[in-house]
Amino acid sequence: MKRLKRFGQFVLDLLRELSDENAYRRHLAAHGRAPSRAEWQRFSDERLRARYIRPRCC
Amino acid sequence: MKRILTHFFWAAVAVLAAFCLGGIALHRGERINSTWLVAAAALTYLVGFRFYARFIAVRVMALDNRRATPAERLRNGHDFEPTNKWILFGHHFAAIAGPGPLVGPVLAAQFGYLPGALWIIVGAVLGGAAQDFIVLFASMRRDGKSLGQMAREEIGKVGGFTALLTVLLIMVIMLAVMALVVVNALKGSPWGTFTIAATMPIAIFMGLYLRYWRPGKVLECSVLGFLLVLASIIGGQAVAQSSTLAPWFTLSGETLALAVMVYGFFASALPVWLLLAPRDYLSTFVKLGVVLMLGVGVLLVRPELQLPAFTRFTDGSGPVFAGKIFPFCFITIACGAISGFHSLIASGTTPKMIAKEWHAWPIGYGSMLLESFVAIMALIAACVLQPGVYFAVNSPAGVFGGTPQAAVETIASWGFPVTVADMNALARDVGEANLFHRTGGAPSLALGMAQIFAQSRGGHAILAFWYHFAIMFEALFILTILDAGTRVGRFMLQDFAGHFHKPWGRTSWMPGVIAASAAIVCAWGYFLYQGVRDPLGGINSLWPMFGIANQLLAAVALCVSTTILIKMHGRRYLWITAVPLGWLVTVTFTAGFQKILSPYPRLGFLAHAAGLRRQLDAGQIAASKIGETHAQIFNDRLDAVVCSIFLVLVATVLADSIRVWTGLLRGTREAKTTETPFVASNLQEDAI
Repeated sequence: MKRLKRFGQFVLDLLRELSDENAYRRHLAAHGRAPSRAEWQRFSDERLRARYIRPRCC
Repeated sequence: MKRILTHFFWAAVAVLAAFCLGGIALHRGERINSTWLVAAAALTYLVGFRFYARFIAVRVMALDNRRATPAERLRNGHDFEPTNKWILFGHHFAAIAGPGPLVGPVLAAQFGYLPGALWIIVGAVLGGAAQDFIVLFASMRRDGKSLGQMAREEIGKVGGFTALLTVLLIMVIMLAVMALVVVNALKGSPWGTFTIAATMPIAIFMGLYLRYWRPGKVLECSVLGFLLVLASIIGGQAVAQSSTLAPWFTLSGETLALAVMVYGFFASALPVWLLLAPRDYLSTFVKLGVVLMLGVGVLLVRPELQLPAFTRFTDGSGPVFAGKIFPFCFITIACGAISGFHSLIASGTTPKMIAKEWHAWPIGYGSMLLESFVAIMALIAACVLQPGVYFAVNSPAGVFGGTPQAAVETIASWGFPVTVADMNALARDVGEANLFHRTGGAPSLALGMAQIFAQSRGGHAILAFWYHFAIMFEALFILTILDAGTRVGRFMLQDFAGHFHKPWGRTSWMPGVIAASAAIVCAWGYFLYQGVRDPLGGINSLWPMFGIANQLLAAVALCVSTTILIKMHGRRYLWITAVPLGWLVTVTFTAGFQKILSPYPRLGFLAHAAGLRRQLDAGQIAASKIGETHAQIFNDRLDAVVCSIFLVLVATVLADSIRVWTGLLRGTREAKTTETPFVASNLQEDAI
């Protein structure tokens, strides 16, 4: 049961990483800011700008 | 005692791997179960991971967890961030897993299951995974530098610039061929077209939801998006059955090609958060989920492979694409065994997030093994189809002369019986009007996947749902590559043009955005359109060009890796990258020369153009077809020129690399390391 719970936590963490939710939390923590629409937009714009200048894999 | 048991365990794994590989290689006659393929692949990967990759990690790279990684030293909460090993593994795998390993093996199945399976397994263990691992290691030891930067530093300016130009050109061909796969999958299919069209407003809804209504709730938004996509699949069936709506979504190849180009333009020019990013999030989750489902489905159903180990088409007369087993099987498989594009990911985000040096072992080497396993699953999905069905779906109309009756008679004459009634019944079962000549690999992969899914859950009754679910997955996945690729191409072009006129370099300058987006879309759109109109199906010319280009990019990555290995150890471990590099250069240059110069019109671009020219001169072309024939001749020559450019670019990088290697090995050039100096790590593994 404990292992299953740990696996579930891992899957959730992976999904949060893939969805940039973890990166947003780190961004808030690093800048000492609270979540808000403006903050998300600032974070998201910066992150997506960096992401979509790199070629994608085929 | 524990040590003896460990030795015994690995010896047993190695013997079993050899037994399974021998089993699939030597088995003839009766049909073979897919479990053999799965077991042979999984066990060989285990041996490769445990022994070969570990050998590289210990002896060659000397990975050291006491050494601080860039993620620790340069930690900034954005790019550089120490990340849990398995989370980064998933992240890296999601980034390298593209449609190539799904489509390539399906097309290569025309040679039978054996050649493709062996190359996917052996190529990944000795070539692809080693390449990804070494590039990741090299970038990690150089503060996360990109492949282009490393090429410039390790080889020289010529190598660096050529690598950059190669990437841009390869992207154009890649986007064209991927778009062609989507167009061929949706052609004449109102159900599929409606579902994919619906993903666009869904993505825009997700974009607005994330931006304004629930900022930062990406998972929640993706779940909503996925439910809406599922609803659109169900709605697609109603559309296909409606006599009013179905004609609106029953589109020809040409119309779909134009629609995809318009989409590509808007996705590149619109704000990224509105369309591109939400699609990308959704596509990533669907991709991982479906790959997992396919793996579980194959293990549960354990289907028998219907295609033989070898078909008669190893001689080069294949209907899916022309060319002999050597070199075209290796070109066609592409990313399932070794992919140049992976080196761009391995020198992109991942090296900046590795917490400990030893994590590069599972992330760099292991992720590629998993990708190779996906390719094995795709090969199985194609091979579970009846061979007659496989060839009827994947062969272009130009091979048979057009009518379904002519198609089944020709296919039956190859020893693969199939009837028009069988094909019609199958089309009805999956909710399509016609399954003949649906080239590109996506429809046959969807058929195979639907059969596996239906056998594991839901049965025959929901075959149509699973087929369209698989088509949705493939198209969503590919269109995400297409829009992101167009945007990246636009940035590269704007960056280049900025050297001549400053405002072009500003990515927010609207005239530049529109012109650069249009230029990139026109570049890949041209190849797409020629592929759609090609009587031989387009895949015959475009997929090998894509395969050659992709493998040539891998050759560039291996040139950089070889230079780094020589600087580290002289000639001692040169073979690790030099052997795959030698193989890739041989395969790609042979394929490239054959595509340009082969005297057989189905294979050689110039021979095909010359044949058409002769027919024109002899007055054998109908007046209504003269313009089209001139266009075909021009396209053949253009394809030959593009193929030649690829070969020249890579020959340039190779010649430049050989010059550097010779200098290093003779001692006339200083083996100066570009690694960042050792800094002790303070990061505790438990804290990640």
